[in-house]
Amino acid sequence: MVAFRKLTKAGAVPVLITLLIFVAAWEGAIALFHIPDFVLPHLAQIAVRLSSDSHLLADALAATLSESLGGFVIGAVLGLAIASLMVLIVPLERSLLPVAVAINSVPIVAYVPVTLVWFGIGPASKLALVALSTGFVVLINALHGLKQAETGAIDLMRSFGASRLSILRRLQLPAAMPSVVNGLRVAIPRSMIVAIVSEMLGAYRGIGRIIFESTQQVDNLGVWVAVLSASLASVLLYTALVWIDRKLVWWN
Amino acid sequence: MSALSDRAQKALLAGLRSGAVAAGPSWQRRLLTGFLRSPLASMIALALLWEFATIAFAVPRRALPPPSAVFADAWTVRADLLASFGRTLLETLLGFVAGSLLGCLSGITFAYVRTLERSVFPLFVISQSMPVVAFGALVVIWFGNTLLAKVVMALFLSFLPVTVNTLRGLKGVDPQRIGLMRSFGARGFTLFAKLAWPWALPQVMVGLKVAISLSLIGSIVGEWFGETVGLGVMLLQAMYTEDMTRLWTVIVACGLMGSALYGLISLIERRLVWWRSAS
Repeated sequence: MVAFRKLTKAGAVPVLITLLIFVAAWEGAIALFHIPDFVLPHLAQIAVRLSSDSHLLADALAATLSESLGGFVIGAVLGLAIASLMVLIVPLERSLLPVAVAINSVPIVAYVPVTLVWFGIGPASKLALVALSTGFVVLINALHGLKQAETGAIDLMRSFGASRLSILRRLQLPAAMPSVVNGLRVAIPRSMIVAIVSEMLGAYRGIGRIIFESTQQVDNLGVWVAVLSASLASVLLYTALVWIDRKLVWWN
Repeated sequence: MSALSDRAQKALLAGLRSGAVAAGPSWQRRLLTGFLRSPLASMIALALLWEFATIAFAVPRRALPPPSAVFADAWTVRADLLASFGRTLLETLLGFVAGSLLGCLSGITFAYVRTLERSVFPLFVISQSMPVVAFGALVVIWFGNTLLAKVVMALFLSFLPVTVNTLRGLKGVDPQRIGLMRSFGARGFTLFAKLAWPWALPQVMVGLKVAISLSLIGSIVGEWFGETVGLGVMLLQAMYTEDMTRLWTVIVACGLMGSALYGLISLIERRLVWWRSAS
């Protein structure tokens, strides 16, 4: 009962009702319009396939998640480090930022073939690509955040003899955190997408590989379960990040 | 990205304008500084840097071909490249226009129908964190290898950010202003057209900028699942033949299209939202 009340407070009830309507509409549409299985499978069929393929899917999901999380961490650290360097050494920002912007102006999916040729079909190519996409978002957000610290506060610290590095560590980095976390929030679903998309073109394991193979074999149930499990994982990951953000970002 | 290019373009425009108006002795100089700060100049600088770096460090062609080789390659396949560019551009634009119209409409609906907002909108927010691109495979199963499949895919990707941003913009209208306009007798549509929509527009534009990039990604990935023309197809072909120069040619083409489309939306934004820019 307490749990139910909590859910009502969070506004989950209307959403659950919508989900029920959605399920009813799905099955209703199949029954009413005689939609063939390959266009819209029965939900029961999807559920059966999910349970029969669960080992396969769990294995693929583990591969995809480790690639996207690994790349995410590498990209976040690199993005933050480069942003800090750019703030410490101003000419660096002038010269490096246009390069970063030019690299980022290309839709990330266009790099997939290059990374596959450079780093091979294994997880390294996915890590590199996820790191690139996360890194850019974090870099831009961190740069914006690092410049948020008040000039007055910086001058005050400097007047007390604080070095550039300690100003960065004690003042600018904490001030930049909300903005950085915003960047991370954008980057986390993106990291899953990038990992899946690059697996589609070449991988030994992973959700993207399952999706691509199922498409080639016109096995649309296979596509459905792969997409659904990836979506579920992505939503969970995002929720986890939001939760960590709420618990940890005491300065916000 | 927006901050830099916007600033640079503003500087260029300011340079041009002041040159045209003042026509003083320094307008050439202003034009020059304007140009030096423009994205075009940094692109040229980047190409030169790339060229010299590949020569100086003797980078093998397989790893990174110099831009001169890329341009030469682009010239030899110009017919194919142009056809593919046009096709991908068409898919992207059609999907973007349909997706943003649909996104604006659903955003407005959510803003005015509270029950729908409470029941359906959370699902929209959740679906933003889903790997929507993966649904592309299903879209191709539904529509086959047609132009429509890619357009639907681009639509699907661009629709979500526009919806979310439209709703956020409309929800953010200052209630005091609504009260003021009500007190002058403004009702329903007038309230929407004169206050809520203009107020939401900057936020909508942010959504549109996200949408145009996603739309391009959608059409490229859509082409991977089977197509004969398009930049996505050329990417795949270059990858299978391990033709690195061709690969970079297509990457540069994708980058040019992406920046051009983004620039177009920014231009529209400056025209439409001249009173405020949400950056």
